[in-house]
Amino acid sequence: MLQHDVLIVGSGLAGMRAALEVSNDPTLDVAILTKVHPLRSHSGAAQGGIAASLGNSAEDSWDLHMFDTVKGGDYLVDQDAAEVLTREGPENIFELEHMGCAFSRDDEGRVAQRRFGGHTAPRACYAADRTGHAVLTVLFEQLLRRGVKVYSEWYALDLVVKDNVCQGLVAYDILSGQIEAISAKAVMFGTGGYGRAFRVTTNAFASTGDGVVMAYRAGIPLEDMEFVQFHPTGLQGSGILLSEAARGEGAHIVNSDGFRFMENYAPGRMELAPRDIVARAEQSEIEAGRGVTTLRDSVFMDLRPIGEERIRYALPSVLHLARDFAGIDPLDAPVPIQPTAHYSMGGIPCDINGQVRIKDLDGAPEITGFFAAGEASCVSVHGANRLGTNSLLEAVVFGRRAGRGILDVVHDLEPTNIAEGDMADAVGEVDKFLRADGPEKVGQIRAELRDTLMDKCGVFRDDAQLRECLAEVKDYQERFRRVSIDDHGSTFNTDLLDAIELGHMLEYSEVIVTGALARQESRGGHARRDFPTRDDDNWFRHTLAYRPQDGEDGPRLEYSDVNMTPQYREPFPLQERTY
Amino acid sequence: MAQQQFIIERYNPDTEESYEESFDVDVQPGQTVLDSLNAIKWEQDGTLSFRMSCRHAICGSCAMKVNGQSMLSCQTQVDSAAERGDPIRIGPQGNQNVVKDLVVDVTKFLDQFERAETWLEPHEGQDPPEKEYRQKVEEFDHWSHASTCIHCGACYSDCTVAAVDENFLGPAALAKAYRFVMDSRDSKRTERLQFLSEEQGGIWDCTRCYMCVQACPKDVLPMDAIMELRTMAIEAGFTNNHGTRHHKGFTSGVRKRGRLDEMMLPIQSVGIGRLLTGNISAHKEMMDYTPGAIRLLKARKLLKIAQRHGANAEGREQIQRIFEEVETEKHHHNVDAEAFGAEFETAIGGH
Repeated sequence: MLQHDVLIVGSGLAGMRAALEVSNDPTLDVAILTKVHPLRSHSGAAQGGIAASLGNSAEDSWDLHMFDTVKGGDYLVDQDAAEVLTREGPENIFELEHMGCAFSRDDEGRVAQRRFGGHTAPRACYAADRTGHAVLTVLFEQLLRRGVKVYSEWYALDLVVKDNVCQGLVAYDILSGQIEAISAKAVMFGTGGYGRAFRVTTNAFASTGDGVVMAYRAGIPLEDMEFVQFHPTGLQGSGILLSEAARGEGAHIVNSDGFRFMENYAPGRMELAPRDIVARAEQSEIEAGRGVTTLRDSVFMDLRPIGEERIRYALPSVLHLARDFAGIDPLDAPVPIQPTAHYSMGGIPCDINGQVRIKDLDGAPEITGFFAAGEASCVSVHGANRLGTNSLLEAVVFGRRAGRGILDVVHDLEPTNIAEGDMADAVGEVDKFLRADGPEKVGQIRAELRDTLMDKCGVFRDDAQLRECLAEVKDYQERFRRVSIDDHGSTFNTDLLDAIELGHMLEYSEVIVTGALARQESRGGHARRDFPTRDDDNWFRHTLAYRPQDGEDGPRLEYSDVNMTPQYREPFPLQERTY
Repeated sequence: MAQQQFIIERYNPDTEESYEESFDVDVQPGQTVLDSLNAIKWEQDGTLSFRMSCRHAICGSCAMKVNGQSMLSCQTQVDSAAERGDPIRIGPQGNQNVVKDLVVDVTKFLDQFERAETWLEPHEGQDPPEKEYRQKVEEFDHWSHASTCIHCGACYSDCTVAAVDENFLGPAALAKAYRFVMDSRDSKRTERLQFLSEEQGGIWDCTRCYMCVQACPKDVLPMDAIMELRTMAIEAGFTNNHGTRHHKGFTSGVRKRGRLDEMMLPIQSVGIGRLLTGNISAHKEMMDYTPGAIRLLKARKLLKIAQRHGANAEGREQIQRIFEEVETEKHHHNVDAEAFGAEFETAIGGH
């Protein structure tokens, strides 16, 4: 059995930032475990920027950033968390800059900042349009410098929790096929989002919600899973992300009439309204028959108003992506775009120190020694809709805070010892797939699942479609029991991992749909045609979905209050959300 | 929809068997090589293994050989990879051990970054500013392209030096070292230049074949970075090494004789001073040339080389003028004449 004081699962921004923080204490043995090499983590795909009220381009303040975040999240944001995010933003950016992050510069040599949707000030700090890559790289460099142990290409199978105390993890070494128990006094999940369940998505193949489902299986409820952000500017077909920075720099979005239709939806902000609003506007235009291309399933983003020189300098990735993946040169022609599943607002419930905690329920305890941060978590700083550039900031700020939260408690935690018997579930799961000989195929079920969620639990939802969607998901779960794989080897068996990941996708998809069906209102990223308005009287609260116990047919839903007690200012009261 | 044949180099670690396998895939316009590999894996043969994740050219997982050249499979359109009707050959990256099918052991490649300590070393005993370090746009623009490396290993895979020298730091790690040499926030510029010029497998081992620049899917331009590092290392005074002496010898030979003095070059590279003072390792290095010299002798080429004449008077005069012009340029643009010698070497077909 392997043993560490602290084990961090996931090596994106949240995981690496937390590991760096923990490594400040030389007496602690900290390790990172990740299914892809840290430099391959999906944080690296973030393009446009990382928000902080530095005020380098125009006057700004953390209050204003906090207000934008709360309003952007349609008031489902926990205000204690939004306050932490925005107050600690600038120092976190300076810290990254001091580590060597390749931030673009303004004329004064300061970190350059630009506009982004839903933000009232230019506060997106950026590294051209590869900001996530720049931050990911610099954190990995510092991790190497500290000599932090990394289990690279190890797949976490099972989180071991006993009597609400986290014991560690059971993991699979992808290279050798060995299953190992790794005991740790504290475990943190920075395992990322769950967008892979949708046909059109910006998400990497790796974003299969593994951590979220491991927590769920360990008895921890999942929070606000029905809130999935659809990004308005995915490349038609593939859904590959074209950064919102394009609109920040001045790109237009037009329908088949060449009309900048945001005029009709958010005249005050036009293309720079928050993402949920722009995505719905696009979807409405498409459904009204004003889509473009022969498929009429998309609208155009036109970068030409930005000017060639600025496009080349500030948006090189957007330029290359359109050329390489759509065969269109944005310098000459508009690019067909469509809403694409992008960000998971929901996740593992935790407090502002990363401590996993079942919020505001009487007698509901924390899970001792278990922490979460980043997209896998739901702290909830994004509420019902995340603003662009707040995700990188969240990962860094709350990764650091989770690291500090671990440092605060880990010396008082008892060493743990995972017994052979605790490994049974994980060993059984791997064994089951390696022996299975059923007729169903992983690729087929996965493709159907992704179609179902995209078409019936997408930008717009309604009761009838969600019921169909739920029935289909349950049918896929049933078929999944009869699945078999081709590869029975022990070395780099990605066929096996695909099967395990599909199991995760099927499990969390049910939670997304169940939560969406129950929530009879429209708020942020959750838009119900049959309940088109926000209903604060009944639905100003977080969803908590518990895994079904014996005899239960689906996830059991409970609800908890939204935090309205920031420490340094009055809470922002509920208001109508218009732009 | 058209059918496309893929011939994939496979390796089964359980049987230790290497073989080629052919698959036919229905391809749509715009389909990438990675899409096609996924179609094979999901619909035909689930045992096929390869790395992938972001599928839009930023995570660096899926670099592999497509028709013999390393590239990101996600960024490569099927249409651009093959003439109509020709099969597309897919193989694992080069210069690394194959684990299974298209999966290689990337440890050796990634270890080079640690070896070159490619992370920012802050100025010691000096607190960072309260806010950000100020950095001019021009300074940032000078090196930021080198920070776009996605560590995909395509450059290392196709590097002709890494193919013969396990010890070579490789294009990516050197380009990353360059990025820190150029970054004013870093405190170890001098130490880095010294390490990179004196380390076995450092900047002087590059043969300037340009494969890395061709393979790189981003804008890193590793070889250009290596050349710039050479110039900076010489300017910083790190000249007591084989690479610098080689280039100095090369340049002085051309300057004097109007052509490369191949008889003198080995002696100059090892260092005449070192040889005269009886430096043992210098004499050992000279001995390293012996087998080559014997082969030349046997092939009756050594004498021919020794008898070669230099350029005629007119030619020498022309070459002299080139040197003078370069030195004036250097004066104006801070270009180092000796480093220019390295450029010149290739221009006249040195080696």
